[in-house]
Amino acid sequence: MSGTQSASNIPSLELLSKNQTPTFVTPLKRINEGHDVSAFLTSKAYSDIMTFLLQLNRAMFPIYVQNVSTSGQKRVQVWDLDCQAVEFSETVQSIRNLLEELDHIIDDVPPDPGPRRFGNASFKKWYQKIEERTSDLLKSHLPESTLQYPHDSEITAESELSSYLLGSFGSSQRLDYGSGHELSFLAFLGCIWKLGGFTASSADTPSGNNERAIVLALIVPYLSLIRRLILTYTLEPAGSHGVWGLDDHSFIPYILGSAQYGPAISPRDQTPTEGSRPDAPDPADVAKTAAVERQRQQNMYFGAIGFIHDVKKGPFWEHSPMLYDISGIRTGWGKINKGMIKMYNAEVLSKFPVVQHFRFGSLFSFDKDPHATPPPASVHAANQPVRDGSGSSSAEKIAAPRAPPPPSASQAASIPGSGAATAAPWASRGPAIPTPAIGTIAPWATAPTGMIDPSQSTETRSAHKGSAPSGAESGTVAPLSSRQPTITGAAVPPTRYPPSGSRLAPVSGRIRTEANGEDLPAAVAAATAQSMPPPTRAPWAKPS
Amino acid sequence: MSDLDKAISELRACKIIPEPQVREICHKARELLIEEANVVQVDAPVTICGDIHGQFHDLMELFRVGGDVPDTNYLFMGDFVDRGFYSLESFLLLLCLKVRYPDRITLIRGNHESRQITTVYGFYDECLRKYGSANVWRYCCEVFDYLALGALVLGTSSTLEPSFTDQSQAIEPVDDDVEIEIMNSRNEVTARFPRSRRRLFESDGLNSSPPGTPSKTGPSGTGATSDSGGSHHSGGAVLCVHGGLSPLIDSVDKIRLLDRKQEVPHEGAMCDLLWSDPDEIDTWGLSPRGAGFLFGPEIVKRFNHLNDLSLIARAHQLVMEGFKEMFDSSIVTVWSAPNYCYRCGNVAAILELGEDTSNGGVISRSNGDAGRSVQAFTPNLAPRSGPGRRYRVFEAAPQDPRGMPAKKPVADYFL
Repeated sequence: MSGTQSASNIPSLELLSKNQTPTFVTPLKRINEGHDVSAFLTSKAYSDIMTFLLQLNRAMFPIYVQNVSTSGQKRVQVWDLDCQAVEFSETVQSIRNLLEELDHIIDDVPPDPGPRRFGNASFKKWYQKIEERTSDLLKSHLPESTLQYPHDSEITAESELSSYLLGSFGSSQRLDYGSGHELSFLAFLGCIWKLGGFTASSADTPSGNNERAIVLALIVPYLSLIRRLILTYTLEPAGSHGVWGLDDHSFIPYILGSAQYGPAISPRDQTPTEGSRPDAPDPADVAKTAAVERQRQQNMYFGAIGFIHDVKKGPFWEHSPMLYDISGIRTGWGKINKGMIKMYNAEVLSKFPVVQHFRFGSLFSFDKDPHATPPPASVHAANQPVRDGSGSSSAEKIAAPRAPPPPSASQAASIPGSGAATAAPWASRGPAIPTPAIGTIAPWATAPTGMIDPSQSTETRSAHKGSAPSGAESGTVAPLSSRQPTITGAAVPPTRYPPSGSRLAPVSGRIRTEANGEDLPAAVAAATAQSMPPPTRAPWAKPS
Repeated sequence: MSDLDKAISELRACKIIPEPQVREICHKARELLIEEANVVQVDAPVTICGDIHGQFHDLMELFRVGGDVPDTNYLFMGDFVDRGFYSLESFLLLLCLKVRYPDRITLIRGNHESRQITTVYGFYDECLRKYGSANVWRYCCEVFDYLALGALVLGTSSTLEPSFTDQSQAIEPVDDDVEIEIMNSRNEVTARFPRSRRRLFESDGLNSSPPGTPSKTGPSGTGATSDSGGSHHSGGAVLCVHGGLSPLIDSVDKIRLLDRKQEVPHEGAMCDLLWSDPDEIDTWGLSPRGAGFLFGPEIVKRFNHLNDLSLIARAHQLVMEGFKEMFDSSIVTVWSAPNYCYRCGNVAAILELGEDTSNGGVISRSNGDAGRSVQAFTPNLAPRSGPGRRYRVFEAAPQDPRGMPAKKPVADYFL
């Protein structure tokens, strides 16, 4: 492990070993069916993504520094967006220029003025331009030691890098953008990290500086670029849940932005899970226009909130109820940060519609992490979509044959972006349409005490009348499983469902704890059902 | 005041009603819906509406613009729920109105009226949040299974009745030959499109069975009713369906044969009717949605001809102008959720079809579409004359009356 740049007890993404010559491969789609998500969650790529994200996250918390002028008294250094205390290496500045160039290309491709349904077709042109220029842009902005990292095959590191970079800006076919594209950019940065691009030139900088430079000089401008793309080409939120999602497009700014407001830490401290820095705004300020305008210049969380205010009309609590609820949290930004990471793990990394588009190469590898413990496969596999041909074709009840010839692939190729349309959850397209049913067990999630094992406690459930479904008794049918649910206590005629090829699967509902009557995520419930927190190799996991 | 009327007035005020009452209303609604055919027959006049998606305040605006129930007959083409904040209030209000005035309001199924879709796109979460349990979601889903798949509007007029306007407002008299009229939410006419003056008599081929057509047995949509004989100012039959056509469905009768009382399947005719989209392609194409198909102008024109339809009305796709006629006005998309998802900046529309009360003679066959050739298809498949269509276009409801919610329950991950 090469964690010398970070706090001593915090892991960081490993650099490629200088002792071995890597074999790069062109990244490929590996998640094709629901159960592949389970494999992903025990892959090296997953571990690397989480390690890198948590490493960046930790670096954005304020830190205590020795104040030389006041006789060793500690002061707090915060990492506002305009903070001057972070040193940007040459590589970082050069990649920032790359993002600027991508931004300039927008000027060359104005939106198409013609009639359209929603997404603007000119986005395809912008995308085509960057596709053509990617290789040149990478060559002119990334150190040669990165692009031409010593390797033992035909394929260079550049093909892995360009794959993730090109995946970072939305779909030119569907004219949409979502958290899957954001993930691709994170992987792009992760590749550069692994290839030593960020660390080579600045080995003696203060702890966390490299990470902060990545966030402030690269992720922040990336988000600005994305917002400009969304506004210019009216990119659809990929798989929007409407008001019932966290944000139409982004996730990472909520993680890193809440870390910016967290309490100050010393190098050996655990990453905080509650509390705030003294001057942090009240989380409830997200609904106040003036406060948002003030904070958005300094903070990524409010930057994202500000963008919502820019594009949405209507009361904040109504169009963004989830963020509004979060704004009621009284235990500080550290708590919000912890929740955001849990949510990212469950709603982004564990959702088939999002991660199915992720490509795996040698740097982010689909190979099983030898230290990984399998996630509760039943929970994942039972709820993820499966491909056609699995016996679900129960619909053809009429005798007529498919009279016209079936649609041809060439016709399909000419399909325009679908605008603000709904995608079938079982369709293998469109990032960021989380299926509702995955309870991911975050490796760092520790099971609260006093919880009910949903598989055993029918008694308690009936005692809590009106509690949400959990587990197999829920009567809730998850996407892709279609069967008659158990109807509890309702004297209604059963409904007929498509027969074969279906399963009843638990949906990510909540269960009610005996102790406090609060709703808990099914993820946690599932963890409890296994009677202990899942053992994990994850270095960031807390001992249970 | 009956319990039902109380529930309606609560829901009109955007308040949810107690769970036992929801259960009772859903039960009553199912009893009503189970009697409906897969393709409900609806008589003009009727106002056709597209997606609502839980935009309750905009639904109220829709009623203000289009007239209240039961004064105006309504046909909603599905997608009542998901994405918006008030799916519960919107759907339950429509359902209560259905139970209270069954002949005045028709609800057909959209692709979002499904367990699978609502668990992904918000309605499930909303029920959980507002009732603390999924029971109400379950009751609603059971109703979804009984919703009709389509509707056939009969007795439409080819001409537009003068619109009801504010007395103080001087509106020029409506020309007999006006085919399309567009009005804004202030009841002002913003555009009129005349039917072509060129009058053609129907070719015999139109009203007799063209070769290869299935025998016309049923009540309409099959040519046996609507304007056969051409003795009225009839606008012909209008098929309403949420999504569009299916390669498995070549006649309205085939829709009638489906077993609809089930969760929306992943494929097959029922799925296609709720998921497909029209597109400028030759015949059929794969849908980027992953369900249903894309279908082109020839498919629509042929279907309309074979089934003696003058128009297909469907919803399912956001259109910035609220409505969009395609393929020589053989199909129209109606979208009724203004400023969709609080950000799309679109207007919404509803489509009014008038009742044919005249006894006049045969009228124009042309739709007055400038770019249209009389011989556009084949002489045998010349499109029918469409009904007179009044689109009322409206914007998102003003926000004033909405208060802040009293409490902020904490989301799961943040406990």
